[in-house]
Amino acid sequence: MNKIQEIIKNIHLLVPEGKRVKIMNVCGSHEHTIAYAGIRSLIPENLELIPGPGCPVCICPESDIVNAIILSKKEDVILVTYGDMLRVPTQNGSIRTEGKNYRMVTSPFECLDIARAHPEKKIVFFSIGFETTTAPTAALLEMGVPDNLFILSSHRLTPTIMEVLVKDTEVGIDGFIAPGHVSAIVGSNAWNVFSEKYGIPTVVAGFEPENLLLGILEVLRQLMYKEARTSNVYKSVVKPQGNKQAQKIIEKYFKVAHANWRGIGYIPYSGLELRDEYSVRDAKKVFMLREVKEKNTAGCICAQIILGKSYPSDCTLFRKACNPKNPRGPCMVSFEGACNIWYKTNAAFTSFS
Amino acid sequence: MSKIEIGHGSGGSLTKDLIENIFLKYLNSEELKPLDDASYINLKREKTAITTDSYVVRPLFFPGGNIGKLSVCGTVNDLLVSGSVPEYLSLGFIIEEGFPLDSLETILKSINDTAENAGVRVVTGDTKVVEKNKCDGIYINTTGLGELVIPLFLMDVSDGDIVIITGTVGDHGTAVALARDELHIDTLVKSDCASLHELLIPLFDIEGLKWMRDPTRGGVATALAELSEKTGLGVEVFEEKVPVREDVRFISDMLGYDPLYIANEGKALIITSPEAADRIIDNLKKHPLGRDASVIGRVTSNFNRVRLKTRIGGERVLDLLEEELLPRIC
Ligand code: SF4
Repeated sequence: MNKIQEIIKNIHLLVPEGKRVKIMNVCGSHEHTIAYAGIRSLIPENLELIPGPGCPVCICPESDIVNAIILSKKEDVILVTYGDMLRVPTQNGSIRTEGKNYRMVTSPFECLDIARAHPEKKIVFFSIGFETTTAPTAALLEMGVPDNLFILSSHRLTPTIMEVLVKDTEVGIDGFIAPGHVSAIVGSNAWNVFSEKYGIPTVVAGFEPENLLLGILEVLRQLMYKEARTSNVYKSVVKPQGNKQAQKIIEKYFKVAHANWRGIGYIPYSGLELRDEYSVRDAKKVFMLREVKEKNTAGCICAQIILGKSYPSDCTLFRKACNPKNPRGPCMVSFEGACNIWYKTNAAFTSFS
Repeated sequence: MSKIEIGHGSGGSLTKDLIENIFLKYLNSEELKPLDDASYINLKREKTAITTDSYVVRPLFFPGGNIGKLSVCGTVNDLLVSGSVPEYLSLGFIIEEGFPLDSLETILKSINDTAENAGVRVVTGDTKVVEKNKCDGIYINTTGLGELVIPLFLMDVSDGDIVIITGTVGDHGTAVALARDELHIDTLVKSDCASLHELLIPLFDIEGLKWMRDPTRGGVATALAELSEKTGLGVEVFEEKVPVREDVRFISDMLGYDPLYIANEGKALIITSPEAADRIIDNLKKHPLGRDASVIGRVTSNFNRVRLKTRIGGERVLDLLEEELLPRIC
């Protein structure tokens, strides 16, 4: 028996018969691995792997995207952002369909070249995501940026949203698979609160199927022995303290603030804004952007999915009116979005008989 | 630098200049030369296969090929996987005003080289010019005619048949995606764009060859999902048997693509009886284009969809997807 088969066998042994066990994989990339490797077809039926909130474009508030579209229409502005953001639908279309001057980048550092090549324009980097993408944006600021470069910050904090999920008893999460990339920045210690305060086993895992399965097994082991610890099976990448350097520069440029999550609303202390010292870089202030009232597609249950309360297949639009070619909600856009992943892999389909 | 002008498509003297000085420089079959309204050709067999395709790939030039080479290979391969030997080709061009003549020459040279290599003769053609911004550089339509050697029908596919792919999957789509300037990734990935005549014609004699397909847009997964839908049969695919280049796998992981759904332009998907599978694989492996040929699955009547057995033994469905992964890939 190879190692993976062995892990799977043990998973079967540890899932108590007749009882539902719910493990939330916080990160969209984990959902990607689960769906593409067909992990759900290998585990007991009563073990639920629930996709969580870790899809950056899914939770980015509609207001910020609408503002990004507005900015891109200004003659003297070039809006720069990650590829997936271009296709996220809003009440006013997407950046791609309605925007005018926009560019896609894979890394914030590309903004420097764009800013230098267009000194007559104002370059606005629409910077979204969790700790993993905040760090490079902070590093960009630390490098020193040209005067014509501004940041539209829509960064969010993973631990805060996880705490919201834990407090919501409707879901009843038994264990967390903590996001591997985010953990590399914040450190595995950042999750101690879940095991210590809430008694929920929390395991940091990587993105290879084997490592992820190992993480699931560790959660089950703790549940079996009624333990609640923060464990790390992704030690090659994640340290207990995380990346101190990255934490330091994030802290230097950003401050924690109340933040809006798409479809969910404001969550206290869940986002990051540029510190007041850097107001001259803050696109929200420089361009005096106003908050736009959210108006999501009727029937889209993205927010429910992000909060672990529904699966994509529960949405009446899923695979019908909503598909990756014509996404009706943000979860169908990016390959970290649960609806997109479930669409492409038929994750809801488990029986071939 | 000289450029295409609107007058080049007028049918007047500029058109004549363009045809005589540029097109005929590269394309000079006996059939084409008289430049009459129609060309006369001889068909060797009673049955002829015919196919047509339009090419709008963006960008026009990409690692491993260009729109010219693609427009010949694509149509030639369509004939080949239909069990016929490609013989004749027509070429229709729609060119944007302002298109550089030297790019046109590069494309024409590619067309000629590829056609010559594949043993097809370009026998008729047409050129139209549209105003600037009314098309994206150049579009090409090709129609191909070939002598039908062995008709292949989907209804002959049956329970127990073997599924073979002639080489690595996902190369073309990945190379073209990377050639678009939005992504700044340096790799050695090249399009697999190639004519498969030397690889596939020898298979026509093998008893048990049932059906072939060139898995272009939508890739191997889409081709198999269509097969399953039309026949009502199931297909089991083994992920670990599907050859994927390391770099293609890496990039598709990064971009969230599945190599099984990425376009190929120099591969054939072959369905064969189990008895003929070894002979077909041996034959394929003799040719450089078939070096990585592999049995990737089998047809079954136990279920009726395409089931992928993942590397770790999991299962998932490969379905027709309502998404064009990359628009204008060919
Ligand atoms: S399937 Fe589409 S509409 Fe439904 S929840 Fe997902 S993104 Fe929203």
